[in-house]
Amino acid sequence: MVAISLCCLFCLPATATERDPVPSLDMRFAQTAENAVNEDESPDFRRHVVPLMGRLGCNGRACHGSFQGQGDFRLSLFGYDFKADHENLLQGEEPRVNIDNLEASLFLQKPLEQVDHGGGQVLDPDSWQLAVLKQWIEHGAQGVDDDDAAFVRLDVSPAEIVAQKKGQTWQLKATAVWSDGTHEDVTPLCRFRTNNDQIADIDENGFVTAKGPGDSHVVAFYDNGVVPIPVIFPVSDKTGSEYPDLKTPTPVDELVAMKLRKLGEVPSEVCSDGEFLRRASLDITGTLPPVAETEAFLSDTSPNKRDTKIEELLERPGYAAWWATKLCDWTGNNDRNQSNSGPERRQGASRFWYEWMHKKVTENVPYDELVTGIVLAKSRLEGESFTEYSERMSRYLVNEGDASFGDQPYLPYFWTRQNFRKPEEQALGFAYTFLGVRIQCAQCHKHPFDQWTKDDFDRFKGFFTRVAYASKGSGKENQKTYKEMLVTLGIDMNDKDLKGNRLYVALAKLAQKGKTVPFGEVIVTPAKAPLNKAKLDGLMAQMNAKDIKPKKKEQLERFLMGRTATVLGGKQMNVDEVEDPREILMAWMLDDSNPYFAQSLVNRVWSSYFNVGIVEPPDDLSLANPPSNPKLLEYLAQGFREHNFDMKWLHREICKSDTYQRGWRPNATNLHDDRNFSRAIARRIPAEVIYDAVRTATAGDREAMELCSLVEKRAIADTTVGSYNNNYALEIFGQSTRESNCDCDRSMEPSLLQTVFLQNDKEMLDSISRRGSWLDELTKTLPDFNDPAAEKLKIEREQKLTNEIAQLNKRLEYAVKKNNKTTIKSIKKAIAVKEATIKEPNTGSVFDGSVSEWVTENEDQVRDILDSAYLRTLVRQPTDREIDRSIAYLKESPTAKDGLRDILWALLNTKEFALNH
Amino acid sequence: MALHRTCDGVVRRDFLKLGALGAGGLSLSNYLRWTHAAAARPKGAKAAIFVNLPGGPSHMDTFDPKPDAPSEYRGEFSAIKTSVPGIQISEHLPKLAQCMDKYVILRGITHSLAAHKLGQEYVNTGNRPIPSLEFPGYGAVVSRELGGPMELPHNVAIPKNNQGGTGYLGVKYAALATGKTPTPGMPFSVRGMTLDGSLTVSDVERRQLLLEDLDQRFHAIEDKNQLVAGLDRFTEQAHKIITSPKAKEAFDTNREKSSFAAPFGETKFGQSCLLATRLVEHGVPFVTISYGGWDTHRDNWNALKNKQLPPLDEGLSALFTGLEQKGLLESTAVLVTGEFGRTPKINTTRTGRDHYARAMFMLMAGGGISGGRVIGETDDTASGPRHDGHSPDDVAATYYSLLGIDPTKEYHTSTGRPVMIVRDGSVIPELMS
Repeated sequence: MVAISLCCLFCLPATATERDPVPSLDMRFAQTAENAVNEDESPDFRRHVVPLMGRLGCNGRACHGSFQGQGDFRLSLFGYDFKADHENLLQGEEPRVNIDNLEASLFLQKPLEQVDHGGGQVLDPDSWQLAVLKQWIEHGAQGVDDDDAAFVRLDVSPAEIVAQKKGQTWQLKATAVWSDGTHEDVTPLCRFRTNNDQIADIDENGFVTAKGPGDSHVVAFYDNGVVPIPVIFPVSDKTGSEYPDLKTPTPVDELVAMKLRKLGEVPSEVCSDGEFLRRASLDITGTLPPVAETEAFLSDTSPNKRDTKIEELLERPGYAAWWATKLCDWTGNNDRNQSNSGPERRQGASRFWYEWMHKKVTENVPYDELVTGIVLAKSRLEGESFTEYSERMSRYLVNEGDASFGDQPYLPYFWTRQNFRKPEEQALGFAYTFLGVRIQCAQCHKHPFDQWTKDDFDRFKGFFTRVAYASKGSGKENQKTYKEMLVTLGIDMNDKDLKGNRLYVALAKLAQKGKTVPFGEVIVTPAKAPLNKAKLDGLMAQMNAKDIKPKKKEQLERFLMGRTATVLGGKQMNVDEVEDPREILMAWMLDDSNPYFAQSLVNRVWSSYFNVGIVEPPDDLSLANPPSNPKLLEYLAQGFREHNFDMKWLHREICKSDTYQRGWRPNATNLHDDRNFSRAIARRIPAEVIYDAVRTATAGDREAMELCSLVEKRAIADTTVGSYNNNYALEIFGQSTRESNCDCDRSMEPSLLQTVFLQNDKEMLDSISRRGSWLDELTKTLPDFNDPAAEKLKIEREQKLTNEIAQLNKRLEYAVKKNNKTTIKSIKKAIAVKEATIKEPNTGSVFDGSVSEWVTENEDQVRDILDSAYLRTLVRQPTDREIDRSIAYLKESPTAKDGLRDILWALLNTKEFALNH
Repeated sequence: MALHRTCDGVVRRDFLKLGALGAGGLSLSNYLRWTHAAAARPKGAKAAIFVNLPGGPSHMDTFDPKPDAPSEYRGEFSAIKTSVPGIQISEHLPKLAQCMDKYVILRGITHSLAAHKLGQEYVNTGNRPIPSLEFPGYGAVVSRELGGPMELPHNVAIPKNNQGGTGYLGVKYAALATGKTPTPGMPFSVRGMTLDGSLTVSDVERRQLLLEDLDQRFHAIEDKNQLVAGLDRFTEQAHKIITSPKAKEAFDTNREKSSFAAPFGETKFGQSCLLATRLVEHGVPFVTISYGGWDTHRDNWNALKNKQLPPLDEGLSALFTGLEQKGLLESTAVLVTGEFGRTPKINTTRTGRDHYARAMFMLMAGGGISGGRVIGETDDTASGPRHDGHSPDDVAATYYSLLGIDPTKEYHTSTGRPVMIVRDGSVIPELMS
């Protein structure tokens, strides 16, 4: 011990300060005539040897960092398990490091390729790197010690890079700061990477070269430090004082403009009223505005009409319905994952979940309160008996009267998901939902792009180990009650056919008959007597010992798990004597200094409005994935906290900005901008919203108004995600599957099948022509035509259909012969459709002339109809060119109805309809 | 789209140059490349048929009989000779016994995931499932790598794709699910793909021209925006599929000569096999057929004999023979598998067999391999491979290789994590010989 500390005195001069850090290893160990290597310096395993192995690529995934190792030698992936790495180097029958015979160490022979090495020669015999490794061995190849100074941070300069021209270069300098006060230049020990090599390239030595306009980051990695350095390469000469005068009415606008000024990107003009209304309605309420609303808005001349509209939209039922759905996405409301959740399996629990979210959003319950209701959820209310609980739940399940699951304070189903039962699943899912952090990597190894280590992951799990789902009630007393209730219900507990899910199905049926049935419950197991630190540490050490027997290890794990826990990036705490460890977690999330809680929600909401987060992807807040505009993110997060997590404040703050209201038409400076919000980015409308939009756009006027206010039956309020009743259209348009802790469960991507659906699916075509549709109502006002051309077309088509019917009749005969009932039924149906098409009813009045003549004579009426078609789909008036083309099409159509049907079909199939722009 | 490789070999996706699509831009540009991919590929089969038997069929009562095993293992069925001397299979697979020369039986495939979902994920992706990442099924990978003609979908599932999703490759490679199986004597088509009787092709052409003229809002940025360009592409392809006689023809099994169709039988499975043959013939690169009902914990022998095996025997033998008849067997790689085998030791209380992953069978045919062979072997009670045995990963590596796809090729997940198509398998050399 003493020897080691003495050694450390030598290894780094005590005079090292912030201004004058210890020179880098490549200088100290340079193999040149001028440099005399200090032979007393002992290179440090953690500070020098492991990072050096990282730089040489030894602990990479394809080499010794692989979980199987490589050539019987394994290192921790991305090198953070210093103890294991040291052991792997020095232990075993033939250790890689031979302290007694340095030259015979495979540790040196392999990379020098003195012996066969799969990775080839990675070390030069005259290099400083070799000198460092040799000297480390000569000094006894020491490993790490618990008392070693801790890594504090990595400083990298310059802190920001602004490029003027291609080919410009910079050398990054990285200084590691340790808790003993030492500052060491570690540039030659860092890993570097660029987030976009088309903007700036960086080589392995931290040498940056400007490549092209745009903005990105270069990142330095050392030990647990991850430091992104922004690189800004202006896209035009309109920067600084050359930048045009820009109106920035809101703080959001000003913060966005600050970035744009640096980049020389001039934002697009503010969008038109029609574009605004369509965009805001779709984004805020998930609803296409009905024609009457559009007309009123377009003719409104008041200067504040956009702000007024935003306020109005935030009060609409569509707002609560749609944002409850988004919250269900992020929290993972999936019916299939509740399939073991007692009588409420199969669309009980998932409906409850939605009702709960919907109620909270309707009441604008602050986000922190909403999350508390999930995080601290237990099934039974304070003081409630098991029987009372079961009575209450039975009522909810039947959906009787005014009782709604939404009324109760807690949402336990977040904890009963099948993919959220094990502590590691809980750690992953929790971090995803509430922190927007992906710690998956750290489950097995040091996160390559963030500070998280495997230890962080393991210790985070500790908060969840005591949350349990007691499927038959918790504790002896309640279990007894559970059984008694079964007996009362006449259920034989020994009936093998009434086990597990079959029992739940039976219970659900009884509940539907008004009976009170028992429910399972989410509980927190009681606190344990605390262990003193020495004992705890001792047991931990035992558990982590290399030679421990698997069985013993498992026993110890069980005993120790949940006794301690560490919030991400925090200190370890004992949670064994706390009543509910989740309270500590919640308090940590609500702390002003918590960097994730507010940011993750703010960023997700922002991303919903702009189709790109300030951090993108929005569920990946990590050091190496920095925000495109940190000040903007911090402003919104800070404001969100200061406004007591008022979600409507956030929506207003975003929507009322010019930034949200920009047009999609790019200019020369912002054509390629897709992350600095200088223009609107066209994106496909989300599944539920486009599904509803088709219904609204094709609906008659009265139905359209109804759809706008009665949201329960709308797809934006869908509660069936993951159930067996999945809607085909929603599925192909990428409704969130809510199953894998990823915002990417919702797909915003277009697909071939979606286009096939819009062009030709029967459901789609039917919605255009269905009874009560706009077209149907309209047709009643149109005449029949007495026109030879139309008549000819009609006869041709009739002939064709008659032939098809004849063919079908032949098949029908065959099917009858075979007595295939389903086939007979489907053929009969097909025949009926065709017959109905032939005999389309006359509407009453007859126009004595061709369709073309009718259109010419009634152009005003036709223009009104076209206006309406455009307003209900694209929320704008048609242009003259579009009117001309549509009129020409109408004139060529066999009937006015056919022509208008096709025009509406075409509008629904434009990109302008499918995209929010 | 720039990918960034750092010194440790880790690549992370760059989201900056994606155009208006975000992560979707990637898919579209890849999508646009689909149709060209085939030309640049090394030699291999042109199409794949994957016959998925969810539930886990008993290996001992089908393709790995042990007539000499003790009675607590053996089961009720006897083994029969096949057309290849020395190879025996269950007596309830007489037609498959007759065409033994067309396919290979893999025995003693082994893994350790005896739960349906995990097992299915494993055999459908060739990668052992892990919690943090979903692997893409065969269909997603093959359709991505092989591409196909514009007027046809590139990945079809009959009747639906209940497993083997697209994993980290994203929904863009998702199978087009037929939703149903053909009925003998009836025309067959997929949802949305066939024109409604009241519309003629010329109606639709005229309508399409109108759409083209009205869909001009984003014209100015068409060449600068991948989303807009991609949607245009889909509009064109959907229209082609809908109006092309090719797509309609490819799906319409009713147009098959009855002499060709008859051997497939009238069962759903048989009809699925017929459809798969037809789709492959018309240029669809990947077809999945799902045929469940194999979870025979109870009443194993009755269920197999009376319900499960006859359609399998009829359909599968017709599939092999039919592909060969059409000259497609050489260019079509067929893989047949459940998620595991079933316990060799009989569960006497339920006269059934339970989940068992240590030994299972798979079948492979076509794609240039020679049939009439058994590869691998289980011990006397079919309780495990006699020697090392092969894993689902090995089978996957082999299957991809038959298709000219390098199983060690690296993809990147949406978080930029690099992953090989098959992480841990090696090609089974005997199979390729």
